[in-house]
Amino acid sequence: MNHAAPLAAGLALVALPLVLPDFWMFIGVEVLAFALYAVSFNLLLGYGGMLSFGHAAFFGAGGYAAALVAAQRSLPLPLMLVLVPAAAMLTAGAAAVLIGLFSVRRAGIYFAMLTFAFQMLLYTIALKATSLTGGDDGLTGLKLPGAIGRPVGYYYFALALTAAGLYVLHRLVHSPFGATLRALRANALRVQYLGVDVRAHRLAAFVASGAFSGLAGALFALSSGNVFPGWLNWTASATPVVMAVLGGTATFFGPALGAAVYVVLEVVISGHTEYWPLTMGVVITILVLLAPGGLTGLWKTGFGRARASRAVPLSTGEAR
Amino acid sequence: MSEPVLTVESLVKRFGGLTALDGVDLTVEPGEFRAIIGPNGAGKSTFFNALTGLLPPDSGRIAFSGHDITGEAPHRVARRGIARTFQITSVFGDLTAVENVQVALIAHARRSWSAWQRARGLGAARAHELLDLVGLASSAARPAATLSHGDQKRLELAIALAGEPQLLLLDEPTAGMAAQERLESIQLVHRIAIELGLSCVFTEHDMAVVFAVATRITVLHQGRVLAEGSPAEVRARPEVQQVYLGEAA
Repeated sequence: MNHAAPLAAGLALVALPLVLPDFWMFIGVEVLAFALYAVSFNLLLGYGGMLSFGHAAFFGAGGYAAALVAAQRSLPLPLMLVLVPAAAMLTAGAAAVLIGLFSVRRAGIYFAMLTFAFQMLLYTIALKATSLTGGDDGLTGLKLPGAIGRPVGYYYFALALTAAGLYVLHRLVHSPFGATLRALRANALRVQYLGVDVRAHRLAAFVASGAFSGLAGALFALSSGNVFPGWLNWTASATPVVMAVLGGTATFFGPALGAAVYVVLEVVISGHTEYWPLTMGVVITILVLLAPGGLTGLWKTGFGRARASRAVPLSTGEAR
Repeated sequence: MSEPVLTVESLVKRFGGLTALDGVDLTVEPGEFRAIIGPNGAGKSTFFNALTGLLPPDSGRIAFSGHDITGEAPHRVARRGIARTFQITSVFGDLTAVENVQVALIAHARRSWSAWQRARGLGAARAHELLDLVGLASSAARPAATLSHGDQKRLELAIALAGEPQLLLLDEPTAGMAAQERLESIQLVHRIAIELGLSCVFTEHDMAVVFAVATRITVLHQGRVLAEGSPAEVRARPEVQQVYLGEAA
Protein backbone atom coordinates (compact mmCIF):
# COMPACT_ATOMS: atom_id res chain seq x y z
CA MET A 1 0.00 0.00 0.00
CA ASN A 2 1.12 3.50 -0.74
CA HIS A 3 1.63 5.38 2.54
CA ALA A 4 3.72 8.17 1.09
CA ALA A 5 1.01 10.59 0.00
CA PRO A 6 -1.06 10.55 3.21
CA LEU A 7 2.15 10.75 5.29
CA ALA A 8 3.41 13.75 3.35
CA ALA A 9 0.01 15.42 3.62
CA GLY A 10 -0.02 14.74 7.38
CA LEU A 11 3.43 16.27 7.89
CA ALA A 12 2.46 19.31 5.83
CA LEU A 13 -0.67 19.76 7.96
CA VAL A 14 1.37 19.56 11.18
CA ALA A 15 3.79 22.20 9.85
CA LEU A 16 1.07 24.49 8.53
CA PRO A 17 0.80 26.83 11.59
CA LEU A 18 4.52 27.62 11.23
CA VAL A 19 4.02 29.22 7.84
CA LEU A 20 0.44 30.50 7.73
CA PRO A 21 -1.28 33.31 9.71
CA ASP A 22 -4.17 32.73 12.14
CA PHE A 23 -6.84 33.41 9.52
CA TRP A 24 -5.69 30.34 7.65
CA MET A 25 -5.97 28.24 10.83
CA PHE A 26 -9.75 28.72 10.64
CA ILE A 27 -9.67 27.65 7.01
CA GLY A 28 -7.45 24.72 7.98
CA VAL A 29 -9.98 23.53 10.56
CA GLU A 30 -12.75 23.90 8.01
CA VAL A 31 -10.79 21.75 5.56
CA LEU A 32 -10.15 19.13 8.25
CA ALA A 33 -13.77 19.03 9.43
CA PHE A 34 -15.19 18.79 5.93
CA ALA A 35 -12.57 16.24 4.90
CA LEU A 36 -13.69 14.00 7.77
CA TYR A 37 -17.32 14.72 6.87
CA ALA A 38 -16.85 13.85 3.18
CA VAL A 39 -14.88 10.66 3.93
CA SER A 40 -17.54 9.54 6.46
CA PHE A 41 -20.23 10.27 3.91
CA ASN A 42 -18.32 8.30 1.28
CA LEU A 43 -18.25 5.23 3.52
CA LEU A 44 -21.90 4.98 2.46
CA LEU A 45 -21.72 6.22 -1.13
CA GLY A 46 -18.39 4.91 -2.37
CA TYR A 47 -18.19 1.69 -0.38
CA GLY A 48 -21.77 0.81 0.52
CA GLY A 49 -23.45 2.19 -2.59
CA MET A 50 -25.94 4.18 -0.50
CA LEU A 51 -26.60 7.81 -1.43
CA SER A 52 -27.68 9.59 1.75
CA PHE A 53 -29.34 12.89 1.14
CA GLY A 54 -29.73 13.71 4.80
CA HIS A 55 -26.21 13.74 6.13
CA ALA A 56 -26.46 17.35 7.25
CA ALA A 57 -28.63 15.99 10.08
CA PHE A 58 -25.60 14.24 11.59
CA PHE A 59 -23.15 17.06 10.96
CA GLY A 60 -25.63 19.48 12.56
CA ALA A 61 -26.49 17.18 15.48
CA GLY A 62 -22.77 16.88 16.25
CA GLY A 63 -22.42 20.66 16.07
CA TYR A 64 -25.26 21.26 18.53
CA ALA A 65 -24.01 18.56 20.91
CA ALA A 66 -20.53 20.11 20.94
CA ALA A 67 -22.04 23.57 21.47
CA LEU A 68 -24.06 22.42 24.47
CA VAL A 69 -21.01 20.76 26.07
CA ALA A 70 -18.78 23.77 25.38
CA ALA A 71 -21.36 26.01 27.07
CA GLN A 72 -20.75 24.21 30.39
CA ARG A 73 -18.05 26.60 31.55
CA SER A 74 -17.63 24.85 34.92
CA LEU A 75 -16.32 21.64 33.34
CA PRO A 76 -12.59 21.03 33.79
CA LEU A 77 -10.76 21.38 30.46
CA PRO A 78 -9.51 17.77 30.10
CA LEU A 79 -13.02 16.47 30.69
CA MET A 80 -14.41 18.91 28.15
CA LEU A 81 -11.87 17.82 25.53
CA VAL A 82 -13.13 14.26 25.94
CA LEU A 83 -16.79 15.14 26.25
CA VAL A 84 -17.00 17.33 23.13
CA PRO A 85 -16.14 14.57 20.63
CA ALA A 86 -17.88 11.88 22.68
CA ALA A 87 -21.15 13.82 22.95
CA ALA A 88 -21.06 14.76 19.27
CA MET A 89 -20.47 11.19 18.12
CA LEU A 90 -23.03 9.72 20.51
CA THR A 91 -25.71 12.25 19.56
CA ALA A 92 -25.13 11.89 15.82
CA GLY A 93 -24.74 8.12 16.18
CA ALA A 94 -28.02 7.84 18.10
CA ALA A 95 -29.77 9.94 15.44
CA ALA A 96 -28.25 7.62 12.80
CA VAL A 97 -29.59 4.54 14.61
CA LEU A 98 -33.11 5.96 14.61
CA ILE A 99 -33.01 7.23 11.03
CA GLY A 100 -31.11 4.19 9.78
CA LEU A 101 -33.57 1.67 11.26
CA PHE A 102 -36.15 3.00 8.82
CA SER A 103 -33.98 4.12 5.92
CA VAL A 104 -31.76 1.08 5.30
CA ARG A 105 -34.86 -1.02 4.66
CA ARG A 106 -34.97 0.65 1.25
CA ALA A 107 -32.32 1.16 -1.42
CA GLY A 108 -31.55 3.72 -4.12
CA ILE A 109 -33.74 6.78 -4.45
CA TYR A 110 -36.12 5.57 -1.70
CA PHE A 111 -33.24 5.39 0.74
CA ALA A 112 -32.19 8.91 -0.30
CA MET A 113 -35.73 10.22 0.17
CA LEU A 114 -36.09 8.66 3.61
CA THR A 115 -32.82 10.19 4.83
CA PHE A 116 -33.96 13.50 3.32
CA ALA A 117 -37.30 13.35 5.17
CA PHE A 118 -35.75 12.53 8.55
CA GLN A 119 -33.23 15.31 8.14
CA MET A 120 -36.07 17.82 7.65
CA LEU A 121 -37.60 16.48 10.85
CA LEU A 122 -34.37 17.18 12.75
CA TYR A 123 -34.11 20.57 11.05
CA THR A 124 -37.55 21.46 12.38
CA ILE A 125 -36.57 20.36 15.87
CA ALA A 126 -33.43 22.52 15.72
CA LEU A 127 -35.59 25.43 14.62
CA LYS A 128 -38.40 25.00 17.16
CA ALA A 129 -36.75 23.64 20.32
CA THR A 130 -35.68 27.17 21.20
CA SER A 131 -34.76 26.51 24.84
CA LEU A 132 -32.19 23.90 23.78
CA THR A 133 -31.01 25.12 20.38
CA GLY A 134 -31.64 28.86 20.46
CA GLY A 135 -34.12 28.45 17.61
CA ASP A 136 -33.55 30.65 14.59
CA ASP A 137 -30.68 32.49 16.30
CA GLY A 138 -28.70 29.29 16.79
CA LEU A 139 -25.98 28.99 19.42
CA THR A 140 -23.17 31.50 19.21
CA GLY A 141 -19.99 32.52 21.01
CA LEU A 142 -18.76 28.92 21.13
CA LYS A 143 -15.14 28.44 22.01
CA LEU A 144 -13.00 26.07 23.99
CA PRO A 145 -11.32 27.74 27.00
CA GLY A 146 -7.60 28.56 27.24
CA ALA A 147 -4.85 27.95 24.71
CA ILE A 148 -6.79 25.21 22.96
CA GLY A 149 -9.45 27.77 22.10
CA ARG A 150 -6.95 29.94 20.25
CA PRO A 151 -6.56 29.42 16.48
CA VAL A 152 -3.34 27.39 16.49
CA GLY A 153 -4.26 25.34 19.58
CA TYR A 154 -7.66 24.52 18.19
CA TYR A 155 -6.17 23.65 14.82
CA TYR A 156 -4.01 20.97 16.45
CA PHE A 157 -6.99 19.70 18.45
CA ALA A 158 -8.98 19.37 15.22
CA LEU A 159 -6.02 17.83 13.38
CA ALA A 160 -5.60 15.16 16.06
CA LEU A 161 -9.28 14.22 16.06
CA THR A 162 -9.55 14.26 12.26
CA ALA A 163 -6.49 12.04 11.97
CA ALA A 164 -7.92 9.63 14.54
CA GLY A 165 -11.28 9.60 12.76
CA LEU A 166 -9.73 8.99 9.34
CA TYR A 167 -7.56 6.23 10.77
CA VAL A 168 -10.58 4.41 12.21
CA LEU A 169 -12.52 4.82 8.95
CA HIS A 170 -9.51 3.60 6.97
CA ARG A 171 -9.30 0.46 9.10
CA LEU A 172 -13.03 0.00 8.66
CA VAL A 173 -13.07 0.10 4.86
CA HIS A 174 -10.09 -2.26 4.61
CA SER A 175 -11.55 -4.74 7.10
CA PRO A 176 -13.71 -7.79 6.36
CA PHE A 177 -16.67 -5.53 7.19
CA GLY A 178 -15.51 -3.06 4.53
CA ALA A 179 -15.03 -5.85 1.99
CA THR A 180 -18.55 -7.09 2.70
CA LEU A 181 -19.83 -3.55 2.27
CA ARG A 182 -18.21 -3.27 -1.17
CA ALA A 183 -19.67 -6.61 -2.25
CA LEU A 184 -23.01 -5.37 -1.00
CA ARG A 185 -22.80 -2.31 -3.22
CA ALA A 186 -22.23 -4.58 -6.24
CA ASN A 187 -24.99 -7.07 -5.45
CA ALA A 188 -26.87 -7.00 -2.14
CA LEU A 189 -28.99 -10.05 -2.91
CA ARG A 190 -25.91 -12.16 -3.63
CA VAL A 191 -24.37 -11.06 -0.32
CA GLN A 192 -27.52 -12.03 1.51
CA TYR A 193 -27.24 -15.51 0.02
CA LEU A 194 -23.73 -15.76 1.44
CA GLY A 195 -25.36 -15.76 4.87
CA VAL A 196 -24.91 -12.06 5.63
CA ASP A 197 -27.63 -10.00 7.30
CA VAL A 198 -27.53 -7.20 4.73
CA ARG A 199 -29.82 -4.82 6.57
CA ALA A 200 -27.80 -5.02 9.79
CA HIS A 201 -24.55 -4.34 7.93
CA ARG A 202 -26.08 -1.37 6.13
CA LEU A 203 -27.31 -0.01 9.44
CA ALA A 204 -23.88 -0.39 11.03
CA ALA A 205 -22.25 1.47 8.15
CA PHE A 206 -24.90 4.17 8.39
CA VAL A 207 -24.32 4.64 12.12
CA ALA A 208 -20.53 4.74 11.77
CA SER A 209 -20.88 7.28 8.97
CA GLY A 210 -23.34 9.35 11.00
CA ALA A 211 -21.18 9.33 14.14
CA PHE A 212 -18.05 10.54 12.32
CA SER A 213 -20.08 13.17 10.46
CA GLY A 214 -21.19 14.34 13.91
CA LEU A 215 -17.57 14.60 15.03
CA ALA A 216 -16.87 16.69 11.93
CA GLY A 217 -19.78 18.97 12.80
CA ALA A 218 -18.43 19.42 16.32
CA LEU A 219 -14.96 20.35 15.07
CA PHE A 220 -16.40 22.95 12.72
CA ALA A 221 -18.86 24.40 15.28
CA LEU A 222 -16.17 25.16 17.86
CA SER A 223 -14.01 26.79 15.19
CA SER A 224 -16.66 28.93 13.52
CA GLY A 225 -18.00 29.75 16.99
CA ASN A 226 -21.63 29.11 16.15
CA VAL A 227 -24.14 26.58 14.97
CA PHE A 228 -27.43 27.38 13.20
CA PRO A 229 -30.52 25.36 12.22
CA GLY A 230 -29.50 25.94 8.60
CA TRP A 231 -26.69 23.42 9.17
CA LEU A 232 -29.40 20.75 9.15
CA ASN A 233 -31.30 22.15 6.20
CA TRP A 234 -31.55 19.99 3.11
CA THR A 235 -29.37 22.27 1.00
CA ALA A 236 -26.51 21.56 3.43
CA SER A 237 -26.79 17.85 2.60
CA ALA A 238 -25.54 18.52 -0.91
CA THR A 239 -22.14 19.68 0.40
CA PRO A 240 -20.67 16.22 1.21
CA VAL A 241 -22.11 14.83 -2.04
CA VAL A 242 -20.35 17.49 -4.10
CA MET A 243 -17.08 17.13 -2.16
CA ALA A 244 -17.05 13.33 -2.48
CA VAL A 245 -17.87 13.34 -6.19
CA LEU A 246 -15.40 16.15 -6.85
CA GLY A 247 -12.56 14.28 -5.13
CA GLY A 248 -13.56 10.82 -6.35
CA THR A 249 -15.75 8.28 -4.60
CA ALA A 250 -13.65 5.29 -5.65
CA THR A 251 -10.76 6.09 -3.33
CA PHE A 252 -10.55 6.53 0.42
CA PHE A 253 -8.85 9.95 0.41
CA GLY A 254 -10.63 11.27 -2.69
CA PRO A 255 -13.47 12.93 -0.77
CA ALA A 256 -10.95 14.54 1.62
CA LEU A 257 -9.14 16.06 -1.35
CA GLY A 258 -12.50 17.16 -2.74
CA ALA A 259 -13.31 18.85 0.58
CA ALA A 260 -9.97 20.68 0.63
CA VAL A 261 -10.37 21.92 -2.95
CA TYR A 262 -13.97 22.96 -2.30
CA VAL A 263 -13.21 24.90 0.90
CA VAL A 264 -10.10 26.63 -0.44
CA LEU A 265 -11.81 27.51 -3.72
CA GLU A 266 -14.68 29.00 -1.79
CA VAL A 267 -12.33 31.14 0.31
CA VAL A 268 -10.29 32.31 -2.66
CA ILE A 269 -13.25 33.01 -4.94
CA SER A 270 -15.41 34.71 -2.32
CA GLY A 271 -12.47 37.04 -1.63
CA HIS A 272 -12.67 38.30 -5.20
CA THR A 273 -16.32 38.36 -6.15
CA GLU A 274 -19.71 38.42 -4.50
CA TYR A 275 -20.86 36.03 -7.23
CA TRP A 276 -18.80 33.24 -5.68
CA PRO A 277 -21.56 30.58 -5.72
CA LEU A 278 -21.92 31.10 -9.48
CA THR A 279 -18.16 30.91 -9.99
CA MET A 280 -17.95 27.81 -7.77
CA GLY A 281 -20.68 26.19 -9.83
CA VAL A 282 -18.82 26.82 -13.05
CA VAL A 283 -15.49 25.59 -11.65
CA ILE A 284 -17.03 22.42 -10.21
CA THR A 285 -18.91 21.71 -13.45
CA ILE A 286 -15.67 21.96 -15.42
CA LEU A 287 -13.80 19.75 -12.94
CA VAL A 288 -16.50 17.07 -12.97
CA LEU A 289 -16.69 17.11 -16.78
CA LEU A 290 -12.92 16.81 -17.12
CA ALA A 291 -12.59 14.20 -14.40
CA PRO A 292 -15.72 12.06 -14.18
CA GLY A 293 -13.96 9.75 -11.70
CA GLY A 294 -13.14 12.74 -9.49
CA LEU A 295 -9.75 14.36 -8.96
CA THR A 296 -8.22 11.16 -7.59
CA GLY A 297 -9.61 9.27 -10.57
CA LEU A 298 -7.68 11.65 -12.80
CA TRP A 299 -4.53 11.05 -10.85
CA LYS A 300 -4.96 7.28 -10.96
CA THR A 301 -5.60 6.93 -14.65
CA GLY A 302 -4.21 10.04 -16.29
CA PHE A 303 -5.84 11.82 -19.21
CA GLY A 304 -6.74 9.78 -22.24
CA ARG A 305 -5.80 6.42 -20.76
CA ALA A 306 -8.44 3.78 -20.25
CA ARG A 307 -10.20 4.13 -16.92
CA ALA A 308 -8.92 1.60 -14.44
CA SER A 309 -11.36 -0.49 -12.45
CA ARG A 310 -13.15 1.36 -9.68
CA ALA A 311 -12.04 -1.37 -7.36
CA VAL A 312 -9.96 -0.76 -4.29
CA PRO A 313 -8.38 -4.20 -4.31
CA LEU A 314 -8.89 -6.40 -1.30
CA SER A 315 -5.79 -8.42 -1.97
CA THR A 316 -3.26 -5.73 -2.59
CA GLY A 317 -4.45 -2.91 -0.38
CA GLU A 318 -5.42 0.49 -1.69
CA ALA A 319 -5.08 1.25 -5.36
CA ARG A 320 -2.28 3.62 -6.10
CA MET B 1 -32.33 -45.15 5.33
CA SER B 2 -30.74 -41.74 5.45
CA GLU B 3 -32.73 -38.59 5.96
CA PRO B 4 -33.67 -36.57 2.86
CA VAL B 5 -31.61 -33.41 2.32
CA LEU B 6 -34.66 -31.46 1.27
CA THR B 7 -38.33 -32.13 1.89
CA VAL B 8 -40.95 -29.81 0.45
CA GLU B 9 -44.61 -30.42 1.26
CA SER B 10 -47.59 -28.75 -0.43
CA LEU B 11 -45.77 -25.49 -1.13
CA VAL B 12 -48.10 -22.71 -2.21
CA LYS B 13 -47.16 -19.20 -3.38
CA ARG B 14 -49.66 -16.73 -4.75
CA PHE B 15 -49.14 -13.32 -6.33
CA GLY B 16 -52.51 -11.60 -6.09
CA GLY B 17 -54.83 -13.75 -8.19
CA LEU B 18 -52.02 -15.79 -9.73
CA THR B 19 -51.06 -19.04 -8.06
CA ALA B 20 -47.41 -19.45 -9.00
CA LEU B 21 -46.85 -22.56 -6.88
CA ASP B 22 -49.90 -24.71 -6.37
CA GLY B 23 -48.98 -27.37 -3.82
CA VAL B 24 -45.50 -28.49 -4.83
CA ASP B 25 -44.05 -31.62 -3.17
CA LEU B 26 -40.41 -32.56 -3.56
CA THR B 27 -38.00 -34.86 -1.75
CA VAL B 28 -34.30 -34.78 -2.51
CA GLU B 29 -32.11 -37.61 -1.19
CA PRO B 30 -28.42 -37.12 -0.35
CA GLY B 31 -26.18 -37.16 -3.40
CA GLU B 32 -29.02 -36.60 -5.82
CA PHE B 33 -28.59 -34.46 -8.92
CA ARG B 34 -32.13 -33.29 -9.47
CA ALA B 35 -33.30 -31.42 -12.52
CA ILE B 36 -36.43 -29.31 -12.44
CA ILE B 37 -37.77 -28.69 -15.89
CA GLY B 38 -40.83 -26.98 -17.25
CA PRO B 39 -41.81 -24.31 -19.70
CA ASN B 40 -41.25 -20.62 -18.97
CA GLY B 41 -43.64 -19.49 -16.26
CA ALA B 42 -43.93 -22.98 -14.79
CA GLY B 43 -42.80 -21.63 -11.43
CA LYS B 44 -39.18 -22.80 -11.37
CA SER B 45 -37.58 -19.54 -10.24
CA THR B 46 -40.44 -18.83 -7.85
CA PHE B 47 -39.86 -22.27 -6.39
CA PHE B 48 -36.19 -21.46 -5.69
CA ASN B 49 -37.11 -18.08 -4.24
CA ALA B 50 -39.74 -19.64 -1.98
CA LEU B 51 -37.33 -22.38 -0.86
CA THR B 52 -34.66 -19.89 0.14
CA GLY B 53 -36.81 -17.37 1.97
CA LEU B 54 -36.77 -14.59 -0.61
CA LEU B 55 -40.50 -15.08 -1.17
CA PRO B 56 -42.07 -16.52 1.99
CA PRO B 57 -44.60 -19.19 0.91
CA ASP B 58 -48.30 -18.76 1.65
CA SER B 59 -48.56 -22.30 2.94
CA GLY B 60 -46.66 -25.56 2.97
CA ARG B 61 -43.54 -26.77 4.70
CA ILE B 62 -39.85 -26.86 3.80
CA ALA B 63 -37.36 -28.99 5.73
CA PHE B 64 -33.61 -29.06 5.19
CA SER B 65 -31.85 -32.08 6.71
CA GLY B 66 -34.79 -32.46 9.07
CA HIS B 67 -34.92 -28.80 10.19
CA ASP B 68 -37.99 -26.76 9.37
CA ILE B 69 -36.77 -23.72 7.42
CA THR B 70 -40.14 -22.51 6.13
CA GLY B 71 -40.15 -18.72 5.85
CA GLU B 72 -36.61 -18.24 7.20
CA ALA B 73 -34.75 -15.21 5.80
CA PRO B 74 -32.30 -15.92 2.93
CA HIS B 75 -29.19 -15.29 5.04
CA ARG B 76 -30.35 -17.82 7.64
CA VAL B 77 -31.16 -20.40 4.98
CA ALA B 78 -27.69 -19.84 3.51
CA ARG B 79 -26.03 -20.35 6.90
CA ARG B 80 -27.76 -23.71 7.24
CA GLY B 81 -25.83 -24.97 4.22
CA ILE B 82 -27.91 -24.16 1.16
CA ALA B 83 -26.08 -22.24 -1.55
CA ARG B 84 -27.72 -20.90 -4.66
CA THR B 85 -26.79 -19.30 -7.92
CA PHE B 86 -28.95 -17.02 -10.02
CA GLN B 87 -30.41 -17.09 -13.48
CA ILE B 88 -28.85 -13.67 -14.07
CA THR B 89 -25.17 -14.06 -13.31
CA SER B 90 -24.46 -12.52 -9.93
CA VAL B 91 -20.83 -11.80 -9.21
CA PHE B 92 -19.29 -8.71 -7.64
CA GLY B 93 -18.18 -6.99 -10.82
CA ASP B 94 -15.66 -4.49 -9.47
CA LEU B 95 -13.93 -6.97 -7.16
CA THR B 96 -11.37 -9.36 -8.61
CA ALA B 97 -12.24 -13.04 -8.98
CA VAL B 98 -10.25 -14.01 -5.90
CA GLU B 99 -11.83 -11.18 -3.88
CA ASN B 100 -15.26 -12.43 -4.86
CA VAL B 101 -14.44 -15.75 -3.26
CA GLN B 102 -12.72 -14.09 -0.28
CA VAL B 103 -15.90 -12.16 0.51
CA ALA B 104 -17.85 -15.40 0.45
CA LEU B 105 -15.28 -17.03 2.75
CA ILE B 106 -15.45 -14.05 5.12
CA ALA B 107 -19.23 -14.41 5.28
CA HIS B 108 -19.01 -18.15 5.82
CA ALA B 109 -16.52 -17.71 8.68
CA ARG B 110 -18.90 -15.11 10.23
CA ARG B 111 -16.12 -12.53 10.01
CA SER B 112 -18.17 -9.91 8.16
CA TRP B 113 -18.57 -7.94 11.40
CA SER B 114 -14.84 -7.74 11.97
CA ALA B 115 -14.16 -4.04 11.41
CA TRP B 116 -10.58 -3.62 12.57
CA GLN B 117 -8.62 -6.56 11.19
CA ARG B 118 -7.16 -6.32 7.67
CA ALA B 119 -9.15 -8.11 4.99
CA ARG B 120 -6.15 -8.20 2.68
CA GLY B 121 -5.15 -11.79 2.01
CA LEU B 122 -7.81 -13.15 4.36
CA GLY B 123 -8.73 -16.62 3.15
CA ALA B 124 -6.70 -16.01 -0.01
CA ALA B 125 -5.16 -19.49 -0.03
CA ARG B 126 -8.54 -21.20 0.22
CA ALA B 127 -9.98 -18.78 -2.35
CA HIS B 128 -7.26 -19.73 -4.84
CA GLU B 129 -7.99 -23.44 -4.20
CA LEU B 130 -11.65 -22.88 -5.02
CA LEU B 131 -10.80 -20.93 -8.17
CA ASP B 132 -8.51 -23.77 -9.16
CA LEU B 133 -11.33 -26.26 -8.59
CA VAL B 134 -13.60 -24.45 -11.05
CA GLY B 135 -10.78 -23.82 -13.52
CA LEU B 136 -10.33 -20.11 -12.95
CA ALA B 137 -6.88 -20.12 -11.33
CA SER B 138 -5.33 -18.03 -14.09
CA SER B 139 -8.02 -15.33 -13.87
CA ALA B 140 -7.77 -14.81 -10.09
CA ALA B 141 -6.56 -11.22 -10.29
CA ARG B 142 -9.02 -10.04 -12.93
CA PRO B 143 -12.01 -7.89 -12.03
CA ALA B 144 -15.04 -10.17 -12.23
CA ALA B 145 -16.81 -7.84 -14.65
CA THR B 146 -14.10 -8.47 -17.25
CA LEU B 147 -14.55 -12.27 -17.21
CA SER B 148 -16.48 -14.00 -20.00
CA HIS B 149 -20.05 -15.04 -19.28
CA GLY B 150 -19.04 -18.67 -18.85
CA ASP B 151 -16.21 -17.76 -16.50
CA GLN B 152 -18.57 -15.61 -14.43
CA LYS B 153 -20.79 -18.68 -14.05
CA ARG B 154 -17.75 -20.65 -12.86
CA LEU B 155 -16.92 -17.88 -10.43
CA GLU B 156 -20.46 -18.01 -9.11
CA LEU B 157 -19.97 -21.69 -8.48
CA ALA B 158 -16.74 -20.99 -6.56
CA ILE B 159 -18.58 -18.36 -4.49
CA ALA B 160 -21.33 -20.86 -3.73
CA LEU B 161 -18.81 -23.54 -2.76
CA ALA B 162 -17.02 -21.18 -0.36
CA GLY B 163 -19.94 -21.58 2.02
CA GLU B 164 -19.31 -25.35 2.27
CA PRO B 165 -22.94 -26.10 1.44
CA GLN B 166 -24.62 -29.49 1.55
CA LEU B 167 -27.17 -28.48 -1.05
CA LEU B 168 -26.59 -26.49 -4.23
CA LEU B 169 -29.52 -24.77 -5.91
CA LEU B 170 -28.60 -23.71 -9.44
CA ASP B 171 -31.07 -21.57 -11.32
CA GLU B 172 -30.44 -22.20 -15.03
CA PRO B 173 -26.68 -22.71 -14.63
CA THR B 174 -26.09 -22.84 -18.39
CA ALA B 175 -28.30 -19.94 -19.47
CA GLY B 176 -26.71 -17.80 -22.15
CA MET B 177 -24.02 -20.34 -23.10
CA ALA B 178 -23.28 -22.01 -26.42
CA ALA B 179 -24.41 -25.66 -26.70
CA GLN B 180 -20.95 -27.20 -26.23
CA GLU B 181 -20.09 -24.88 -23.35
CA ARG B 182 -23.34 -25.85 -21.60
CA LEU B 183 -22.42 -29.51 -21.42
CA GLU B 184 -18.90 -28.78 -20.21
CA SER B 185 -20.25 -26.40 -17.61
CA ILE B 186 -22.82 -28.78 -16.13
CA GLN B 187 -20.31 -31.63 -16.17
CA LEU B 188 -17.93 -29.48 -14.15
CA VAL B 189 -20.64 -28.88 -11.54
CA HIS B 190 -21.51 -32.57 -11.61
CA ARG B 191 -17.92 -33.67 -11.07
CA ILE B 192 -17.41 -31.21 -8.20
CA ALA B 193 -20.70 -32.16 -6.55
CA ILE B 194 -19.71 -35.83 -6.58
CA GLU B 195 -16.22 -35.01 -5.35
CA LEU B 196 -17.55 -32.96 -2.43
CA GLY B 197 -20.57 -35.16 -1.74
CA LEU B 198 -23.10 -32.41 -2.42
CA SER B 199 -26.70 -32.73 -3.40
CA CYS B 200 -27.86 -30.52 -6.20
CA VAL B 201 -31.14 -29.20 -7.54
CA PHE B 202 -31.01 -27.30 -10.82
CA THR B 203 -33.45 -25.81 -13.28
CA GLU B 204 -32.64 -26.16 -16.94
CA HIS B 205 -34.14 -25.69 -20.38
CA ASP B 206 -31.60 -27.66 -22.41
CA MET B 207 -32.65 -31.33 -22.44
CA ALA B 208 -29.21 -32.49 -23.50
CA VAL B 209 -27.83 -30.94 -20.33
CA VAL B 210 -30.59 -32.43 -18.20
CA PHE B 211 -30.20 -35.96 -19.53
CA ALA B 212 -26.42 -35.77 -19.26
CA VAL B 213 -26.31 -35.43 -15.48
CA ALA B 214 -29.73 -35.64 -13.77
CA THR B 215 -30.36 -38.61 -11.50
CA ARG B 216 -34.02 -37.68 -11.22
CA ILE B 217 -36.23 -35.17 -13.00
CA THR B 218 -39.20 -33.19 -11.73
CA VAL B 219 -41.48 -31.57 -14.30
CA LEU B 220 -43.24 -28.40 -13.17
CA HIS B 221 -46.20 -27.11 -15.10
CA GLN B 222 -48.37 -24.19 -14.06
CA GLY B 223 -47.12 -24.36 -10.49
CA ARG B 224 -47.75 -28.09 -10.06
CA VAL B 225 -45.61 -31.20 -10.29
CA LEU B 226 -46.67 -32.79 -13.55
CA ALA B 227 -44.33 -35.74 -13.36
CA GLU B 228 -41.33 -37.03 -11.46
CA GLY B 229 -38.99 -39.94 -11.99
CA SER B 230 -35.76 -41.16 -13.50
CA PRO B 231 -34.75 -39.57 -16.81
CA ALA B 232 -35.97 -42.62 -18.71
CA GLU B 233 -39.34 -42.62 -16.93
CA VAL B 234 -39.89 -38.90 -17.47
CA ARG B 235 -38.92 -39.10 -21.10
CA ALA B 236 -41.51 -41.84 -21.64
CA ARG B 237 -44.46 -39.98 -20.11
CA PRO B 238 -46.84 -38.83 -22.85
CA GLU B 239 -48.10 -35.76 -20.97
CA VAL B 240 -44.53 -34.59 -20.47
CA GLN B 241 -43.79 -34.94 -24.14
CA GLN B 242 -46.91 -32.98 -24.90
CA VAL B 243 -46.23 -30.15 -22.47
CA TYR B 244 -42.53 -29.81 -22.63
CA LEU B 245 -40.32 -32.15 -24.55
CA GLY B 246 -42.27 -31.82 -27.77
CA GLU B 247 -42.09 -28.09 -27.46
CA ALA B 248 -38.35 -28.12 -26.85
CA ALA B 249 -37.55 -30.41 -29.76
